[in-house]
Amino acid sequence: MAKDRSQDNDYVGQLRKLLLAVLVLCLLAIFLVWRIDSPRVERFRAQVIDTVVPNFDWAMAPVTGAVNILRDFQSYQRIYQQNQELRRELQQMKSWREAALQLEQENARLLDLNNVQLDPRLTYVTGVVLADSGSPFRQSVLINVGARDGIVDGWASMDGLGLVGRISGVGENSARVVLLTDSSSRIPVTVQPSSKQGLVAGDNSAAPLLTFLDDDDGVRPGDRVITSGDGGVFPAGLVVGRVTLDAGGRMRIRLSADYERLEFLRVLRSWPQERIEDPGSIVDPETPDVADTAADTPSEDPAAVDPADG
Amino acid sequence: MAERSLTYLWAMRCLFLALCGLVMFLHLLPLEPVSRFWAAPDLMIALTFAWVLRRPEFAPLMLIAGVFLLADFLLQRPPGLWSALVLIGSFTLRSKALDLRDLTFTMEWLSVASTLVAITLAYRIILAILVVDVPPLSLSLVQLLMTLIAYPFVVLASQTIFRVRKIAPGEIDAMRNA
Repeated sequence: MAKDRSQDNDYVGQLRKLLLAVLVLCLLAIFLVWRIDSPRVERFRAQVIDTVVPNFDWAMAPVTGAVNILRDFQSYQRIYQQNQELRRELQQMKSWREAALQLEQENARLLDLNNVQLDPRLTYVTGVVLADSGSPFRQSVLINVGARDGIVDGWASMDGLGLVGRISGVGENSARVVLLTDSSSRIPVTVQPSSKQGLVAGDNSAAPLLTFLDDDDGVRPGDRVITSGDGGVFPAGLVVGRVTLDAGGRMRIRLSADYERLEFLRVLRSWPQERIEDPGSIVDPETPDVADTAADTPSEDPAAVDPADG
Repeated sequence: MAERSLTYLWAMRCLFLALCGLVMFLHLLPLEPVSRFWAAPDLMIALTFAWVLRRPEFAPLMLIAGVFLLADFLLQRPPGLWSALVLIGSFTLRSKALDLRDLTFTMEWLSVASTLVAITLAYRIILAILVVDVPPLSLSLVQLLMTLIAYPFVVLASQTIFRVRKIAPGEIDAMRNA
C-alpha cells in the first residue's frame, strides 16, 4: 500500500514538474516577446488595464474617498491656525491680483501695438485619477479618459497649476500618465529668467533632477522652470516648478503640481508643431532660375531682400 | 464527504485568488502617487509562500502563474519574468515543505528568506543582462526586508483567520480516507 502510494506520488510529481516547466517557459516567452517587441506588449498591457481597472472603480472611489476624509479630519485639529495663515496669504494674493491685472492690461496694449502673433490657446480634456502604478518602482497614474476621448500618446497633462507628466499608454477608456518623478521621464525645460536649457530627469524621488544644463552659471535656487518645447515633446511655456538645491549640491526641481493630491488631471490637446523643411530660397537659391530671372528683372532682387534685412 | 472536501478545496483556491486580488487592489489605490523612499511589503509573494508551505493544494501552480502574470501587467513590471521566478521559488519551497513540516518556524522563515533573496537577485541579474531598467537597489532591498518582516504576520493571519495550517502527520491518511 505504502509503495503504491509513493509510485502514485512520483507520477503526480513528474506531472507537476512538467507543468512547472511548461508554465515557466510560457512566462519567459512572454517576457522575451516583451523585450523584443515592447510596444505591442505594452499596448496589450494597456488593454488589460483598461478592462480590469475600471471594474474596480466602484470600490476604489469610496475607499480612496474615505481615507482622504480621514486625512482631512486630522487637519481639523489645526484649523484655526490654518485659517489665520490663509487670511494672511489671501491678503498678499489680493495685492498680487491687482498687480497682475494691471500687467495684463499693459501687456495687451503692448501686444496690440506690436502686432505680435502668439501661440493659439491650448484646449484640454480633464480626467479623474483612477489608480496609481501600484508599485514603488514606477511613478505613474491611471486616468479615466482614453482613446474614446481622443487622447493620444505623448500629450502633456497638468493639474491646475503645473505639469504633472506625459501620456504613455492609451486604452479605450483609460490612459496612463507617467509622472515627471518616474525614473524614465525626461522633459526638456527652460530655466527663467536666465533662459538656460536643460532636462528634468526623474529619479523616483519627489524632486526630479535638473540635468544637461548648457551652463549652470546663471541658474540659482528659486528660478522658475518651464517647458521649452524642444523636440516637439511638449508645448512650450508650461509651468514645471522651481529650482532647489539638494543636500548633495545638485539642482532639483520643486514641482508646482501638487503631487500629494492628484485627483483631476488636464490633458492638453497638442498637435505636432509645423516643421520647416525646405532650406528657403534666399539661403539656397535654385541657381538656374536665378540665372534666368536675374538677367530679366534685376530690379526685383533688392526689393525681395530688403524686408529680410530690415 | 469527498464532495465536501472538494468544494472546500475550490473555496480555498477562490479565497487565495480573492486575497491576491485584494492586495493588487490596495496597491492600485491612488492614495500616494508621490515617490517614497520606502516600499510596501510584497504581500502577494508572502501569502503565496505561506500557503504553498502549508497547503500547496490551495495554491496550485496554474493559479500562481495566472495571478502573478496579471499582477505583472497591472503593476507595470516587465511581464512574465517575475511570475516565472515566483513560480520556480514556490515550487522549490513546495518540495522542501515535507522536511520543513517538522522543523521550527525560524527554519521556515530562513528558507523563505533565502528563496526570496535568490529570486530577487535572479530578477535583477536577468533584467541587467537584457538591458532593461533595473529598479533602484535600495528600494528593492527595502521591499525585501519589509516582505520578510511581514511574513510571520501573513502566516499568523492565514493560520488564525483562514485556517490554513500545516497538516499534522496523522491527518494525511484521515484526509485520504475521507
